[in-house]
Amino acid sequence: MNKARHLSLALGAIAAILVAVACQDAASPPGHITAGGSPPPKGGGGCANFRLTGGGRIDARDHNGFAKNTPESHDFATFGFQARPTSSCPPTDGSGNLEWQEHNPADFGGGFSFHGTVTFFTTTADETAGDSRCGRFGGFGRVKTRDGRTFDNVPFEVRHACDVDEPGVGNDHIAITIGVYSRHGILSGGNIQQHRLTGNN
Amino acid sequence: MAKKIPGAWAILVGGLTLLAGSAAAQSVTGKAFGTYANLAGVQSQSPVASLPSTGGMATGQTDAFSVAGAVDAQWLNAVTTGAVDNKKTGAQSTSEVENVSMAGGAITADIVTAVATSYFGQFTGGSDATGSGFTNLLVNGVAVTEDVAPNTRVDIPGLGYAILNERIPTGNGVTSWGMTVNMIHVVLQNQLGPTGEIIIGSASSSVSR
Repeated sequence: MNKARHLSLALGAIAAILVAVACQDAASPPGHITAGGSPPPKGGGGCANFRLTGGGRIDARDHNGFAKNTPESHDFATFGFQARPTSSCPPTDGSGNLEWQEHNPADFGGGFSFHGTVTFFTTTADETAGDSRCGRFGGFGRVKTRDGRTFDNVPFEVRHACDVDEPGVGNDHIAITIGVYSRHGILSGGNIQQHRLTGNN
Repeated sequence: MAKKIPGAWAILVGGLTLLAGSAAAQSVTGKAFGTYANLAGVQSQSPVASLPSTGGMATGQTDAFSVAGAVDAQWLNAVTTGAVDNKKTGAQSTSEVENVSMAGGAITADIVTAVATSYFGQFTGGSDATGSGFTNLLVNGVAVTEDVAPNTRVDIPGLGYAILNERIPTGNGVTSWGMTVNMIHVVLQNQLGPTGEIIIGSASSSVSR
């Protein structure tokens, strides 16, 4: 009886997952970005005593390698950003900008361009927490898809941007979430640098 | 003992002056653009991102860019960022262009990506174009399936020639480092010599201390 009940529950759970996946696939493509979502969380990180600049390219979707994909592959993203905390902390407000270009046609909208404005800046709260080389920031921005759609007020969060060493290729790494799109990995081009809190740039 | 103090102060002040001078001399440059064309003296260029010498961020973007008979391109994005800092200074520029067709279709590519990075820390500096590349590049109708080596020259019959993945290092390698990468640089010419040029995907950066 118990075995039958457990089997029934297991089958029910599997069916529910399949239905959920089917519904998700039918309702929205992978990496669907919802405009006007809830504000990005500011909590989980502390006041940072540094600022970050960076730009370059990321082909990976993990932290296991950094090789540039083969010349026929569209599966990569490029980026540029500057971000810093405001002069008084707390609160962990921040300023700056981020540009992100996703080229993978299998991602939302056949690939997209994103321009974000930074509203918070903290130390990291993910698996890099406690690593003084990493910062975390986020805010809102605009998505323009390759298939011609535009979404405003899309929340984004750079969960970590880490300045591990010079040069940045093969060392520095970044993890970003834009809506429910995400990519993370080690840089295949470019650099991320952590700087002292001096000057306006 | 007291007589030695002015000398020590002079050394200290002199050292601080040198340090201040060193800090003041630090600078970064960054520039990126998607497309530039000079056809018989008539120039056209997509939006340019130019980094202030003290650092910051600049962008230059447009959804489409066309020069009749010379170039068609979409989704041109140019970004440059950088910062000046005594301990660590850097500039990085990125240019991307999609759906490129130029010189009457002699060269096409799905994506052209240029990345130029320059940096120095306390003990080392450098500059490179790592991350630059083509996606589905065709030259004279032939698919290029391998990464293109820096400064590869190809002839374009009837028009001139192109330098692919053109890299121009700058700086002295001691106190300054820099790199310009032009992913496609077409030189148009006739029997008398050059008549114009087209550049697709250009990124530059440099640092000095």
